[in-house]
Amino acid sequence: MIELKNITKIYEVNKNNMVTALNNINLTIKEGELVVLKGASGSGKSTILSLIAAISKPTSGEVIVGTNRASKLPDNFASDFRRDNIGFVFQKYNLIPTLSAKDNIILPLVPLNLDVKEIEDKLEMVLRMFHIEHKANQLVKNLSGGEQQRVAIARANINNPKIILADEPTANLDEKLSLHFIEMLKELKRDGKTIIVATHDPLFFDLDIVDRVVEIHQGVLA
Amino acid sequence: MILTPEVLAILILNAIFMLFATVVFVLSVKIYLNWDINCTSKAQYKLEKQSFLAATIIKYIFVLKIPLFLFFIFTLDKISNLLTGAMCAAGVVDATEYGTNLIILKIINLYLFASWLKLHSEDMKDKNQPYTKPKFGLFILLFFSFMVEIILEGIMFGSIEIDKMVSCCGSIYSSSASSAVSGIFSLETTTVLTLFYGNYLLIVLFYFFKKRYLFAVANMFFIVVAIVALILFFGTYIYELPSHHCPFCFLQRDYYYVGYLIYGMLFTGTFYGFVVGFINKSDINYQISLLINSVYVIFVTLFVVIYYMKNGVLL
Ligand SMILES: Nc1ncnc2c1ncn2[C@@H]1O[C@H](COP(=O)(O)OP(=O)(O)O)[C@@H](O)[C@H]1O
Ligand SMILES: [Mg+2]
Repeated sequence: MIELKNITKIYEVNKNNMVTALNNINLTIKEGELVVLKGASGSGKSTILSLIAAISKPTSGEVIVGTNRASKLPDNFASDFRRDNIGFVFQKYNLIPTLSAKDNIILPLVPLNLDVKEIEDKLEMVLRMFHIEHKANQLVKNLSGGEQQRVAIARANINNPKIILADEPTANLDEKLSLHFIEMLKELKRDGKTIIVATHDPLFFDLDIVDRVVEIHQGVLA
Repeated sequence: MILTPEVLAILILNAIFMLFATVVFVLSVKIYLNWDINCTSKAQYKLEKQSFLAATIIKYIFVLKIPLFLFFIFTLDKISNLLTGAMCAAGVVDATEYGTNLIILKIINLYLFASWLKLHSEDMKDKNQPYTKPKFGLFILLFFSFMVEIILEGIMFGSIEIDKMVSCCGSIYSSSASSAVSGIFSLETTTVLTLFYGNYLLIVLFYFFKKRYLFAVANMFFIVVAIVALILFFGTYIYELPSHHCPFCFLQRDYYYVGYLIYGMLFTGTFYGFVVGFINKSDINYQISLLINSVYVIFVTLFVVIYYMKNGVLL
């Protein structure tokens, strides 16, 4: 379960320039739920995702993810928490273009000191799950947008996290690829993952796999 | 007043330290009074950020203070060339009434800073940060001690007079001197050596019985006993001169800077002894302390053994 309690987030650019990105938000997301976070650009969607992933801390309020008080974790614990619990899919993929697809995917495993066999097993599983086996050894910069998207999702899943956060995942994809992405979401949902998709792409708003659409306007939930 | 480039560098650094330490002091008081890890208020989140800032500054100060302590000793050594009568740092330390106290205070502060860091690293190992309040409480004390050190250092360099004759270590560290250290020379060598090795045995004993507080206390005594034994006995074997008792000369090049190694071992070994007593009694801390103290004892003893093997007699 993910809980946001009385969350306010103010970006203090300087003394005279404060942006209230989130204003006293309360939100509970159950395990296995697929929630779409709908809102215009600048409404605070990415901020919510980064709070859940303990990438940033709220100005006040509390974020609880499972048994972790995510908003209270010191930095060194936050990165462990993220690695073990969260798979993040970014709009711009954030892949390393000069590495192969395979190397990008196994990157999150580096700090775990696993043996080669274990790494290969995990790799094979996500390669198959997201249909990218045939491109595994190619450099990411030579892949198409849709293929890069699949690599990004495979990487987000390599640690088998319980929670998948996707930030504008279809912003760079045409309709056909967007539908592909939704197919992959179905897969993940069947796997029992809790999924949050932040988007303003109408494609998501009346899908049958979506349990709930949460609307956000200028930092306030509708 | 003495203003060599080295002294100037020290004074400027002290001014910078003072500024940053004051910032951390203000944050420490705020954190100490208001810290509540379970609270989700704006104020608490702000304190959490500030505690990271404060810890970072303290770490930087400490990292600079260790080489700076060596630089301080080096500076005293260098100034000794300017003072009539002084042969090494001892003459400069003795030139004012502040020198000895300043060195002792500097050493105490290094132990306090090191303890702070150890406490901090324990704090960071637990996501509830159980030591945050105590560690900033400790810094509040440390701040005052640190400020006294900086002020004392300024006064000391300010009151050294170049044209005044000072003593050399040969007369300061001798039984005929009337200084504070001369009391050491009224002690019997055998008594001091018995205390030295006895104290070491106690440390070993408390290690095996895992008595953390006794272990720490034994380490505390060991610093004093070891320094007295160094001045009275072991030093003479480093110099191979029965009447040379100076605890500074062996920091010089003539003796291959061996003093830095000797004091380094003594301070590190005993520091981990305190850690066992007051911060974390894990086996590794016990072991580091015992290991370094043992190497220290063997090392200084070797000077005597080697002298005996070479010359067939003791001094
Ligand atoms: N690091 C930052 N510094 C200052 N303002 C920011 C920062 N990140 C986001 N913002 C502001 O916070 C608001 C919400 O941003 P964001 O969460 O990125 O919205 P969304 O993802 O819905 O487009 C916006 O007004 C944005 O300009
Ligand atoms: Mg965004």
